Amino acid sequence: MKKGFQIHKHSWLKYLTLLTNSHNMFVPVNNNNIIEYEEYSPELNNLSYFAAKPVTPLKAFLLPIKENVVIEREIHNKNIILGVPACDLKALELLDEIYLDPDHTDTVYNFNRENTILIGSDCYEIQEHCHCVSYNINPWPEVNFDLSLSAINDDFIIFSNSEKGEKLVNEMILNFQLTEAGLDILKKLQEKRNSVKKMLEKKNTRLPDYQHTGALIKKSENDKWEEYSKNCVSCGACAVICPTCTCFLLVDRPDFEKVRQTDACQYLGFERIAAGEDPLKKKYMRFRNRYMCKYVWRPEKYKSIACTGCGRCIDTCIGNINKNEIFIQMASL
Amino acid sequence: MQGNHNIYKPIKATVDRVIKESPMIKSFVLIPEKEFFFKTGEFIELTINGYGEAPFTPSSSPLETKKIEVTVMKAGYVTEKIHALKRGDVVGIRGPYGRGYPLDKFYGKEVVILGGGCGFAPIRSLMYNLIAEKEKFKKVTLCYGAKTPDECIYKPFVDELKKIEKFEVLRSVDHADETWEEKEGVVTVLLDDINVNIAESVAVVCGPPVMMKFGTLKLLELGYPEEKIYLSMEKNMSCGLGKCGHCMMGKYYVCKDGPVFTYDEIKDQPDIWI
Repeated sequence: MKKGFQIHKHSWLKYLTLLTNSHNMFVPVNNNNIIEYEEYSPELNNLSYFAAKPVTPLKAFLLPIKENVVIEREIHNKNIILGVPACDLKALELLDEIYLDPDHTDTVYNFNRENTILIGSDCYEIQEHCHCVSYNINPWPEVNFDLSLSAINDDFIIFSNSEKGEKLVNEMILNFQLTEAGLDILKKLQEKRNSVKKMLEKKNTRLPDYQHTGALIKKSENDKWEEYSKNCVSCGACAVICPTCTCFLLVDRPDFEKVRQTDACQYLGFERIAAGEDPLKKKYMRFRNRYMCKYVWRPEKYKSIACTGCGRCIDTCIGNINKNEIFIQMASL
Repeated sequence: MQGNHNIYKPIKATVDRVIKESPMIKSFVLIPEKEFFFKTGEFIELTINGYGEAPFTPSSSPLETKKIEVTVMKAGYVTEKIHALKRGDVVGIRGPYGRGYPLDKFYGKEVVILGGGCGFAPIRSLMYNLIAEKEKFKKVTLCYGAKTPDECIYKPFVDELKKIEKFEVLRSVDHADETWEEKEGVVTVLLDDINVNIAESVAVVCGPPVMMKFGTLKLLELGYPEEKIYLSMEKNMSCGLGKCGHCMMGKYYVCKDGPVFTYDEIKDQPDIWI
């Protein structure tokens, strides 16, 4: 484990207050067991950075539902997103591959990315549909974070993973009592992390892994997809809430401006061409399309995986469709 | 296309001329605010200010950089607005996007081109390139089909083409009338009449999905290898940048990985003929 710093919880909270002078900071807050990002203020007393997971995925900060992508950006305070779970950090890999593609870099996404500081955190409490470990993602920050936050009792352990993170650590050293985390506490932390991992593994023993799921999806027949999608109402919530689904519409505005607006392949007409033909005209086709995209096509095209096992699509489905139950059923056929 | 360039922002272009090609098809000669370079087969996104945007492969010569021409069939809400454009109107253009025709792979070959309806647009652009470098090709045979004689586009261009050495034009219409002196039937029937050495040939297909399908099947039946059949695919290309997802065809973004593919590249992808 790399070098970490130890800071007492009270000092950490003081540091957060200090940070809000120069940043817009968003933290997960638990209200009636619903965890959602809110703008930080010292009065908040139900911060929840170690429980998986905020309802809104991280992508919402980098690819807002609607954003004018033609007008010039203005410099503002950087955003700090605190308490980002590992599944959302991992999802950034695919977003970066798509939006920072060197052939066509999306300057607006790049602007948002550069002006955001990501403070990831460990998951010590898991939700019913969490399954990151099934796709080889550990429930603690390993990639794409600037700073990460772990806790042992009333002490927080901080790891830096970027220049932006180093800068914050140096600022903390100047203002607060910060010590290097000793081997003892790091060992305890690893044990704590491993116990969460075991819990997730135990919960998901029957779930096929990412590659195997792709193979199962690919060979599944149309009549099966009709059956799986029976309760789907094409609301698109699964795609909107997914940390890796980022398809969008370009909406035209006067003065040749364009607004990039969240879209979803679950909506009728998503792939329709001018003459009227539509490869996704039936509901089961659209339903299948999303899984083919995530588990078959994206892996063929990109290095990053397209499902990080957050389980939000299951949490949100008003038709009570559980993709993991479908995959377990596919594996048993 | 890097650095601070905003990939979504169109440049302005002024409509210079409107040409009625058929009852449903018009061509628009546009003068972009700055020189515009594209390779044949690449496409642009054309914006009607504040209204909508649609993809078109230019039908003009890639060697002309001060003017660009698009040929548009009235088929949906954006193309309806485009059809209402008049000289002097200002539109937006973005691009060029995608992968066009690999001309170097056609060098030294007999080029057989199968076009249908408005699919003549990218083909005419390709033709201008082939004409400009005609010494590099053995022969060029264009087989073009439309529904009726009225719907055959680019009549003056076809007349000019017929006069050029090494170029042959065959046409058919699904429903002939008393004025029609060429073949009657779907465009693939023209392939029965061509004199071509398939081993030394490449084929290009562009047209409506159903014609692309049967054209390709016919070429395969004639013995064309899958990797020598070049298809210009039509999907819902919206951003043009491999991001928005509307034009996905299996693992490919048609806008970025295509729109020109060999049949070999796409044969295992879903819904290629839709």
